[in-house]
Amino acid sequence: MKKIQMIKNQPLSLISTTKIIQMSNVSTSYDSKNFALKGINLSIDRGTNYAIVGQSGSGKSTLLKLMNGMMISSNGTIKIDYVVPDMNDKKFKKMMHTIGYIPQSLGLIKNITVIENILIGALPRLSKIQSLFKRFPEHEIQEAKRILKLVALSGKENRKVYMLSGGEKRRVAIARALMQKPTILLADEIVSELDHVTAHEIMDLIADAQKQMNLTAIMVHHDMQLALEYANRVAVIKDGEKILEIGVEGEKIVDFQTGDMSAEEIMEMYSNDSKK
Amino acid sequence: MTPKNNIIIGIIIALLVVASYNVDANPIEFIEGLPNLAIVVEEMLLVEPKYVPTAIWAMFETIQMAFIGTIIGFAIALPLSMLAARNLNSKYVYAPVRALLATIRTFPSILWAILFVIMVGLGPFAGVLAIIMYTIGFVSKLQYEAIETIDSDPMDAVSSIGVSKWQLIRYVVIPESASHLLSQLLYMFDYNIRQTSILGLVGAGGIGFYIINYIKFFEYGKAAVFMLIVLITVLIIDWVSVKIRDKYIIKSQHGMEVTTK
Repeated sequence: MKKIQMIKNQPLSLISTTKIIQMSNVSTSYDSKNFALKGINLSIDRGTNYAIVGQSGSGKSTLLKLMNGMMISSNGTIKIDYVVPDMNDKKFKKMMHTIGYIPQSLGLIKNITVIENILIGALPRLSKIQSLFKRFPEHEIQEAKRILKLVALSGKENRKVYMLSGGEKRRVAIARALMQKPTILLADEIVSELDHVTAHEIMDLIADAQKQMNLTAIMVHHDMQLALEYANRVAVIKDGEKILEIGVEGEKIVDFQTGDMSAEEIMEMYSNDSKK
Repeated sequence: MTPKNNIIIGIIIALLVVASYNVDANPIEFIEGLPNLAIVVEEMLLVEPKYVPTAIWAMFETIQMAFIGTIIGFAIALPLSMLAARNLNSKYVYAPVRALLATIRTFPSILWAILFVIMVGLGPFAGVLAIIMYTIGFVSKLQYEAIETIDSDPMDAVSSIGVSKWQLIRYVVIPESASHLLSQLLYMFDYNIRQTSILGLVGAGGIGFYIINYIKFFEYGKAAVFMLIVLITVLIIDWVSVKIRDKYIIKSQHGMEVTTK
């Protein structure tokens, strides 16, 4: 059983408390009968490391797609920095430039090099002519190299992505997102297929970047332990509903839906739940 | 074999028999005609080597025609195929473009050649125009089908950055389909060389012009020289494209497989 002492991040009270993401009573469905999400309420503070945990098909990836405007909810309201996310809306489209999104499959372009993949993050800042002729300004190239160093991929910038290992590919995907100079980072099960050590390396990397760039990170996880280790808050999604939201305040884990609970009780609840 | 399969095979055989009857396809006539072929082959064996330089020059003209036709046709087809791809455009864009491409594709290259001979007169230029049109119709279909099969994950990931459609095409669609595009370019060039070889039949230049004229005058020995040059050229091009394929295409497709989950 996880011990509370293992939780690494700073308590919520030290972070600015303006809300960056607000969802109230959000429901969405892929067809008329089955709801992918039902009545979700979320409120995420700026600078938080927020984890969404759930099993396959629970609706957690859908939740991320609603946040970056790739999907539109059927009911309820969503506000990302006070703007309704919709990729067809001009105002939100500008905001998308600063929302880094890493899908579970990473969405890298395999036939091109590492640095070319990372530079894609800078595309919104390029003029039409520059992007047509692939003329990235020198400062963008320097920025890409700085990020390469940050994600520990220096020296591999000219490798084709298909030649990289799983962990390295994840670093490229993170670097592409960081190249956007994001305010929000959305990552869908980014470490779920990695071994324990590599998974922690990737999570540490994101935690570092988060501190450096004052990011709000929203990460979908399969593994509750990993989520508790890194996140300030954890929401548990089951069958499209948020069944639990816990947070870390100092040394204490707080259940935001049912009142104070001990970490042991929460873990017990979660493990019972996942056995069902 | 399930009964359903037996019925399908039965229907196909029945259709084959009916169609053969309708077009007078008679195997006995084929066998009876074999001695005639022997006469042609015998005459062809009387190859006249002094025509080799002329044949090589005519082949060179043919290759140049095919080259221009393939490159220009490919360059025009690429933007059209982007417009025709369902995963990049709305119905109102791709449907009319597809209809246009289907119309272009309806005519075989030889009909285009006749049309252009009427328009610009006899000679290789009419042939080049015919090859361009044929390439546009044919290769754009291959291209938009390749574009529609590219992985949607990189597209989604990059669109989520809020890039423009043209940036998406430039930075995701083209690199992701590059190996297919190269493969199609090689295939089309190879195919166009064969095609250009027969466009001479309608006076649109190239080596076919010589072949058809010598055959008309029963000079099979001379025609054979030109046909032999076509054969050698096609074999060389085939060999070269296999090499290019091995070097660039197979490798990158292998890479794709490795990364697919």
